[in-house]
Amino acid sequence: MNADFQQTPNNLCPYCSAAFETFDGLKAHVVAVHKTEPLPKPDGLIQLTVNGQSHKLLVAPEWTLYQVIHDKLGLTGVKMFCDRGACGSCTVIMDGRPILSCMTLAIECDGKTIETAEGIAEAGHPLIDSYVNHHTMQCGYCTPGFITTAKALLDRNPEPNESEIMQALAGNLCRCGTYPQHPKAVLEAARTLKEEHSK
Amino acid sequence: MRSFEHFNARTMEEAVAILGRYGDRARVIAGGTDLLGKLKDEILPKYPEALVNIKSISGMDYIREDNDVLKIGALTRLEDIAVHPAVKQHFGALAEAAGRAASPHLREMGTLAGNICQDIRCWYYRYPNNRFPCLRKGGGRCYAIEGDNRYHSIFGGTVDDGCYAVHPSDTAPALIALDAVVRTTKRTIPLEDFFDVKVSATTVLDPDEIVTEFEIPQSPGKAGSHFIKFALRKTIDFAVVNCAAMILIEERKVASARVCLNAVAVKPYRAVKAEQAIIGQELNESTAEAAGESAISQATPLKDNGYMVQLAKIIVKRTILACA
Ligand SMILES: Cc1cc2nc3c(=O)[nH]c(=O)nc-3n(C[C@H](O)[C@H](O)[C@H](O)COP(=O)(O)OP(=O)(O)OC[C@H]3O[C@@H](n4cnc5c(N)ncnc54)[C@H](O)[C@@H]3O)c2cc1C
Ligand code: SF4
Ligand code: FES
Ligand code: FES
Repeated sequence: MNADFQQTPNNLCPYCSAAFETFDGLKAHVVAVHKTEPLPKPDGLIQLTVNGQSHKLLVAPEWTLYQVIHDKLGLTGVKMFCDRGACGSCTVIMDGRPILSCMTLAIECDGKTIETAEGIAEAGHPLIDSYVNHHTMQCGYCTPGFITTAKALLDRNPEPNESEIMQALAGNLCRCGTYPQHPKAVLEAARTLKEEHSK
Repeated sequence: MRSFEHFNARTMEEAVAILGRYGDRARVIAGGTDLLGKLKDEILPKYPEALVNIKSISGMDYIREDNDVLKIGALTRLEDIAVHPAVKQHFGALAEAAGRAASPHLREMGTLAGNICQDIRCWYYRYPNNRFPCLRKGGGRCYAIEGDNRYHSIFGGTVDDGCYAVHPSDTAPALIALDAVVRTTKRTIPLEDFFDVKVSATTVLDPDEIVTEFEIPQSPGKAGSHFIKFALRKTIDFAVVNCAAMILIEERKVASARVCLNAVAVKPYRAVKAEQAIIGQELNESTAEAAGESAISQATPLKDNGYMVQLAKIIVKRTILACA
């Protein structure tokens, strides 16, 4: 957590407003003095770095990371399709891992670094051009999920072979059936990255 | 999702204390890939009042080789297990099982503890808004027994002989075949004894008990292990039948064998008969076939799942052969 967050009155007793240095201290106080449960609701204040920009947000416990990125931050590249972890269209890269934002609680993401399709496009990543060149989309709804997953793969493995690409993208569904184009596009992006690197 | 209290626990003691205060009204959340689906669909008769996040506790995500045992922290992600060189080399069944579970994204999120603690997937039980308040939710009847039971148990039911929902985990049979134990905040349990079939529970854990670590003995001698999963699609789908085996061969004969099926019974199903059939034998097509046959000798399929018996037989055979 950022230092200024710790200054926020995180550890105030909700019953009598007594202040405590630590959450544990507050807890002991609530139990001992007010003899009550449930424990006071912890603060939903989180800090996220999304595409290089830092955001401080107050989130409700039940908000998913998808809701925060799409609805609150307005980054509409992250798409909701199944909302059950079964399609990959809501994929974002969090601390290097391609994860499903629909199955992640935002309140558990304090301090995380996140990349979305918007950030990948802004950075001029060759995946964007190669996806266009290879007609890797029809309706395009699933595409940001594929792009983020492919980017996470290339970050880890800059020279994947076709089967490694298919395996990495195996959690992304496309209703339009664009599957055969994706390995081609990712292979081309990998080649471009390598050329850029050797220049 | 409806709301709940949420705690990012910082220590295991804190997590246990919060769980203790809420009794059975709170749930642990690890990767969340199983739990959040249940909350979104509101399948539970009692919506949890609080979630206790344990990902905020540091130092629970590791794979270590310590004197003859492999230790895996409860929060280790399935993907990290699947690609770990030591796991791939010495505990092949576990690497395979972790690498075949769910989808790549879910493996980046889902933890090993969450995988063995996950809930059943019976489609009546999981139907949104608690549409089928069945035996497993404390209700009066099982809907699968008269309904569509193509993915249900071929080895009988429980909860007063009524629930036929299979245990869906891919890693559980591998951990059982590898003779793993699980450590919790209260005790150490052999993985085989970890599962239970109760109303709203699939494990023997108390409401305030948390899995902390797995320990797998280094296989004696040169035991080989393997895992095979049959599912409708290669990824995302749960197993229709899966199987893990660990087999030690000495002087060309099978000296010891552990074979475990899952997704075929209400708990992971150790195929003791298959083990007995191959111990002392040479491992070849015909002995493996006989082991497959023995594995299903006690099967009692329901009206829609007879095909699973054939699948189980052939998968036991192939898994055993792959251990050689
Ligand atoms: C589309 C889809 C496909 C899937 N396919 C598969 C599959 O093929 N094979 C498979 O095995 N699984 C599959 N799963 C299930 C699930 O994703 C995995 O089992 C995953 O490993 C669960 O781990 P988690 O950390 O996300 O668990 P969570 O959802 O966080 O927790 C699951 C349960 O375990 C409890 N729990 C978690 N950690 C602990 C702990 N340390 N101590 C005590 N209790 C704990 C929680 O309270 C909860 O009840 C699938 C899920 C989805 C959504
Ligand atoms: S099989 Fe079990 S979970 Fe499914 S409807 Fe019957 S009692 Fe419920
Ligand atoms: S919307 Fe998240 S996986 Fe489908
Ligand atoms: S392009 Fe339409 S869903 Fe993939």
